Amino acid sequence: MNIKKLNIALLLAAGVLGQSCTEDFLDVPSQEIIEAEDSNEVFEPEALVNGVYGMFTDWNYGFAYLGITEILSDNADKGSAPTDPGTDKDILDALTYTPTTASFQSTWEHWYKSIGRATQSIEYTENYGLPDETLKKRLIAEARFIRALNYFFLVRGWGDVPIQEIDLLERKPTSEVYAYIEADLQFAIDNLPLKSAYPAKDLGRATKGAAQGLLSKVYLYQKKWQEAVGMAQAVLNSGEYSLEPDYATIWRASTENGRESLFEFQGRGAELAHGIQQYSQTQGARGESGWGWGFNTPTQNLVDAFDAEGDEIRKDATIIFRGETLYDGRVISQAVENPRYNEKAYSSANAGAGDTDKNIRYLRLGEIYLILAEAANETGNSNLALENLNIVRDRVDLPAVTTTDQSQLRQLIWKERRLELAFEHDRWFDLVRTGQAKSAMEANSKRFQDRNNLFPIPDAQLVQTPEMTQNPGW
Amino acid sequence: MRKLFALLLFLAATLSHGYAQVKTVIGTVKDSQSLIALPGVTISKPDGTGSQTDAAGRFSIEASPTDSLTFRFIGYTPQTVTVGDQEALDIFLISEDQALEEVVVIGYGTQRKADLTGSIGSVKAEEITKQPAMSAMQSVQGKVAGLNIVASEAPGAAPNVIIRGLGTALGGRNPLYIVDGMPVADINNINPADIESMDVLKDASSASIYGLRAANGVVIITTKKGKAGFFNINYESYAGMKSILNQVKMANGNQYAEYVNQHLSSIEHLTAPEDRYKISLTGQPYETDWYDEILKTGSVFNNSVNLSGGSENIDYFLSFNNFTENGIIDGSKFTRNTIRNNNTYKFLDNRLRFNQTLNLTFTDNNIKPNNGFNVAYRQAPIVPVWWENGRAGRPLLNGETGLIDYQGGNVKVLNSTGNPVYEILRHNEIQKSTTLQGGFEGEFKITDYLKINSRVGATKYYVRSRNFNDIKDGWLNGDPTRTDAEFERLRSDNPESATYAYNRLGIQQEETFRWVWENFLTFQKSFDKHNVEATLGMSREKFGVGNRIEGVGYDVPEKEQYWSINLANSAASSSYPKSINHRIFTPRTLASYFGRAQYNYDSRYYLTATIRRDGSSAFRQSGEYWGTFPSFGVGWTISNERFMENVSWVNMLKIRGNWGMLGNQDIPINISQIITSPGTDLNAGTNNNNYVLGPNQELVYGASFGTPAIPLTWEKTQETGIGLDFGFLNNNLSGSIDYYHKLNTNTILDVTPTYNSPYLQNFYAHGAKVLNQGIEAIVNWNKTVNDDLNYTVGVNYAYNKNEVTEVTPAYDRATGGSLGNGQITKQLRLGQPIYGWWMWETEGVWQNEQEIEENAKTGAPLPGHLRYKDQNGDGEIDNRDKIFFGSYIPTSTYGVNVGINYKAFDFSIYGYGVAGNKIYNALKGTRIEGGENIAEDTFNNRWTGEESTNVHPGAARDAYASSYYLESGNYFRINNITLGYTFDKLYSNSSKLRIYFSAQNPFMFTKYSGFSPEIATQDGAPSGTTGIELSAYPTTRNFLFGLNLQF
Repeated sequence: MNIKKLNIALLLAAGVLGQSCTEDFLDVPSQEIIEAEDSNEVFEPEALVNGVYGMFTDWNYGFAYLGITEILSDNADKGSAPTDPGTDKDILDALTYTPTTASFQSTWEHWYKSIGRATQSIEYTENYGLPDETLKKRLIAEARFIRALNYFFLVRGWGDVPIQEIDLLERKPTSEVYAYIEADLQFAIDNLPLKSAYPAKDLGRATKGAAQGLLSKVYLYQKKWQEAVGMAQAVLNSGEYSLEPDYATIWRASTENGRESLFEFQGRGAELAHGIQQYSQTQGARGESGWGWGFNTPTQNLVDAFDAEGDEIRKDATIIFRGETLYDGRVISQAVENPRYNEKAYSSANAGAGDTDKNIRYLRLGEIYLILAEAANETGNSNLALENLNIVRDRVDLPAVTTTDQSQLRQLIWKERRLELAFEHDRWFDLVRTGQAKSAMEANSKRFQDRNNLFPIPDAQLVQTPEMTQNPGW
Repeated sequence: MRKLFALLLFLAATLSHGYAQVKTVIGTVKDSQSLIALPGVTISKPDGTGSQTDAAGRFSIEASPTDSLTFRFIGYTPQTVTVGDQEALDIFLISEDQALEEVVVIGYGTQRKADLTGSIGSVKAEEITKQPAMSAMQSVQGKVAGLNIVASEAPGAAPNVIIRGLGTALGGRNPLYIVDGMPVADINNINPADIESMDVLKDASSASIYGLRAANGVVIITTKKGKAGFFNINYESYAGMKSILNQVKMANGNQYAEYVNQHLSSIEHLTAPEDRYKISLTGQPYETDWYDEILKTGSVFNNSVNLSGGSENIDYFLSFNNFTENGIIDGSKFTRNTIRNNNTYKFLDNRLRFNQTLNLTFTDNNIKPNNGFNVAYRQAPIVPVWWENGRAGRPLLNGETGLIDYQGGNVKVLNSTGNPVYEILRHNEIQKSTTLQGGFEGEFKITDYLKINSRVGATKYYVRSRNFNDIKDGWLNGDPTRTDAEFERLRSDNPESATYAYNRLGIQQEETFRWVWENFLTFQKSFDKHNVEATLGMSREKFGVGNRIEGVGYDVPEKEQYWSINLANSAASSSYPKSINHRIFTPRTLASYFGRAQYNYDSRYYLTATIRRDGSSAFRQSGEYWGTFPSFGVGWTISNERFMENVSWVNMLKIRGNWGMLGNQDIPINISQIITSPGTDLNAGTNNNNYVLGPNQELVYGASFGTPAIPLTWEKTQETGIGLDFGFLNNNLSGSIDYYHKLNTNTILDVTPTYNSPYLQNFYAHGAKVLNQGIEAIVNWNKTVNDDLNYTVGVNYAYNKNEVTEVTPAYDRATGGSLGNGQITKQLRLGQPIYGWWMWETEGVWQNEQEIEENAKTGAPLPGHLRYKDQNGDGEIDNRDKIFFGSYIPTSTYGVNVGINYKAFDFSIYGYGVAGNKIYNALKGTRIEGGENIAEDTFNNRWTGEESTNVHPGAARDAYASSYYLESGNYFRINNITLGYTFDKLYSNSSKLRIYFSAQNPFMFTKYSGFSPEIATQDGAPSGTTGIELSAYPTTRNFLFGLNLQF
């Protein structure tokens, strides 16, 4: 009897245990994120390319970027409270940074990740099987434009850098990196539509003009003067662009993607908001009566530079002074903590929100005139140089420059670049490129050593890849 | 209270003095467990006469209603019953084996404590209710050696629990909770008074029956059930007051002003002349103690009633509990109501049983931000709570007079800290949850030695929360000079910008579901002196089934009754988009087969073997779902050997040894994926996937490839342990000692991809070994002096050493412990405890400019700033000079308890302490601007000039993380002192009333300078802010008065 019962029990148990299908039971598909293998069913290549643009809205542009482009330079002080390091903005400002300084690591990483996304979207677009060949080429060209833009940051900052698609460890010579950038930009020029040729909904995507403009700047950095002149003229001759009549409006919401704009990083402040993370907030006036953290503040040295030139228009458009009333009626309280703030980061509609409508003007026609002027001067064509330089000066009611002395004119163009492009994240690279860095820093009582010409390779990178070499002096 | 008591006495008196008429009482006597009739039970009356049961267990006796009948049978505990008006009595006697032998729950079965080969800590109901708390886990702190509980006093918060050290870096740090056989996520939904016992399976051989998720230990909760032959009503109530235990004394207005003035002079050379000012030391119009303003005396009320009983066919337990806590932050309140019903249905002479459990829990939480503690620490004491015009006080100073004033000229701002009172007041968040949890189990005894159990259990959880933000009020209170008209103008200028919406309403709703189904066979038989027990079973489980919806709308009507997304945009001028996010969770499934064999010979030699084969859907990427987890345990009870018979002082001596392998599958979803930010405004900014294009800058959705997933498999922990149990001197002295060596052989790490590689997201990889080694010791002295007096003294101690013993080189040196101001404080590194402290070492204070000039430094320090040691001697101070400074994880935890029962009085003290850890005082250490307030100690000890001190920084200080702010986390705290008095036999033998007074956390001994060295965080992640006091809820001191009434 008992034995029989035992048998029944065992059979029962075996039935329960043997009930298979467990593999099916355990095979639980993801319901909240799309599995990579399903990408073709879900995403068209455009989504992946949009994701590359998305990197422009990163927090790195809101903070670290300010540190290594402006705060380093003679344009900006750290700002905020004297005792607030802002992660590392104090030592960037003081030029006492080291390979472990966080802003170098995070921008280095961010630019490489942007390159990674661009390359992935290129591969995805190539293999997806888009029926429309023009669209396919355009999307690839957009990604290649952005990839070039990011390599341009890297090569300006660190010199020899690895080309991600080739090798992560070996730092390629600067010339090779530039050749790689030029190839990407040339492809972009060949395949991107003109700004006016895009449908309205695509306003803000990379254009042929943006690629030409960027390439002219890339040539400028390589001292390929003739090519720079050619590319800058190609932009001007396209008929797609003209200067904003009023300099003061260049960084306001009203001129976003406007007539002067070659390429901008886009932000949206209205609900559903998606801005360049905290860009306006980190630079907003500090204190409860303000709206931000108060970093990246204009130096007295910059104010003096404007004043020396009698350049009231650009001074007022670039700098918020404590106590002033802004163009939109906002009164800057006397109770804000710093005497000056960056007006180009100010969002009238969204002030200190994390997501604001502020677009970062990455490249605009004003700079193209100055690139043309500088390159033309170097080729000895001072008339062409003067013509273009004075177009920029004329807009802000400054008298025309007349000197045809090449070295004098060179200095004047460099000065013009500083005043025209202050707080447009160009100053530090410009100082290093033109060899003015040492004297400019010393004028601000900061010690500039040879090693400061290049950023240090982030220590954290070298921990991961000890084979990689450090820049000289670091 | 007194009235109630009088009423009860009256009731007891009437009931016991009813009519005194002799009658015939008949009935049966049965074994309470097996329900087998007991023949030959003697029944005696107080007068000495009596009777006996017959072969069928029946009896018949003449008795008057006032008589009490005593039932005695060999091997059973005697039972006395008052006749009352009953004419038939069914008596269930409890076997002495059961009563005397402590039984522990071991997972798919129970075992006599004396037969264990593993290490299991047990806590009984009384121990839990003696330290009342919202969660029972908080109540057992210090009561089980090796169980490290970091309590949180925030209303509704659960403690962090670590068993035998931390072995994993990712999720799955928590132990596995099993409630009445069902795995659950936590036990916050359970009324502690419903818990019968809590058994903590600490070692591998015990826990491996739950191999699946046992790597962090298993906590088995058994809830109360009715017992056949009894009927009880229990009423428990306590009420208490809560106040902050260890309040830091802050600087007063004068000290603050002096301190900040010194700071201002030190940075004068960095400040433009027009920006220079001083705070006036006299004539300040306000003096605010911010902690006084935001804190109040909290209170706690708990009422619970339960009915339990049983008969031949049904045992039942029904309880209701209301727990209400008003937190010490003004406005925070947590309420929990639970209803529990546990029934057992018995058929076929108890061979077929059904157990049913059902628990409903409703919580209601008014949440206030813990950040208030942080803000109150920093805001200047000279700032008013409110200005005269009714606006929130702000740190605005008249630069000319140096007095707090926003109207005068030349306004200066002292700091960027908010107004804590206003921030707490305007925070309007409510969270409500409902939990339905139940199980149904059938048990059938196929033969005397073989039974089969089958059970299902499920938990459904709903939570909804609502967050209301009065944007306009916040804007107006940001600056006392702002006006309504100005807001309206900005609003009409920027109609699309939500910065100028009147208000914002956010709602979240989430529901989750989990179920488990288990079947197992149990064989139990003795052959002569060979005792064998074997279990074989299977289980299926699915959890994390659910979804979450989040919605946002702007400009809902002012009245709370209309706060819904549908009624958003109520103002004519509002046209903000409403947004919604909806996410479906990916569930996790688990499948398991398990077997366990236990054998002992003559209760002397023990052998246990367990094997479990588990599959988890977590490993879908690799398809390697399955892992096998074996374990073994041996034991030798020396005291049962013949040669020990004459050693009379040794009652019990047993050595145990065990080895086992445990698994952890609790890792985040690990698949190669496409990353998107599909939501609307709530997370459109994350991952940088979306962008805006077009003239109106419409949001366009983008996507990117995530880092390809590396196929992963089970985290496997191997544990070896030996232990010794002893009982000496009539078991007056008892205890145990355990040693364990627990190695997580393939810890899964959250790895940062190479910085210049294409992929951004961290990925998971097996990359380290983490070793926990330790010793646990428990000693109890238990003595009954005479009928009136007994006492017990117990000590438990656990030492644990945590070490990362191997790391894949590329994964080493991951950082963590962000302070939220750009400073990090922790690093994962070979040879150190997991995420040990990592920061600069302070090397005195810069005394003068010359010293600064001549030495390595970072930035541009000033005299009075802390000086950091140039560890690598390269003349610069940077990350490469940061060194290891120990861990936030204590190496030692210990508990002591003393209990005395004298006549009707009971008295007990519990103490708990930790040692060997360090805590980062970020309240003190993360000042940014210099205009924040400081503790009085900071003021008194500061550097004031050359040679004043070489330890403490001056009023001017930097905001870098350094060892200066790292303090010893050692503390010893009296967790509980209770004095109780019991009124026995109110109207029957089993009725009683106990009243007690308890002081919880009355004293704490610590050198820590912040509020509390005991810091629990949301998820206890080692790489997070665990061990950092920033916005942690401080420990409170509670005084409770309670009563426990049993009919």
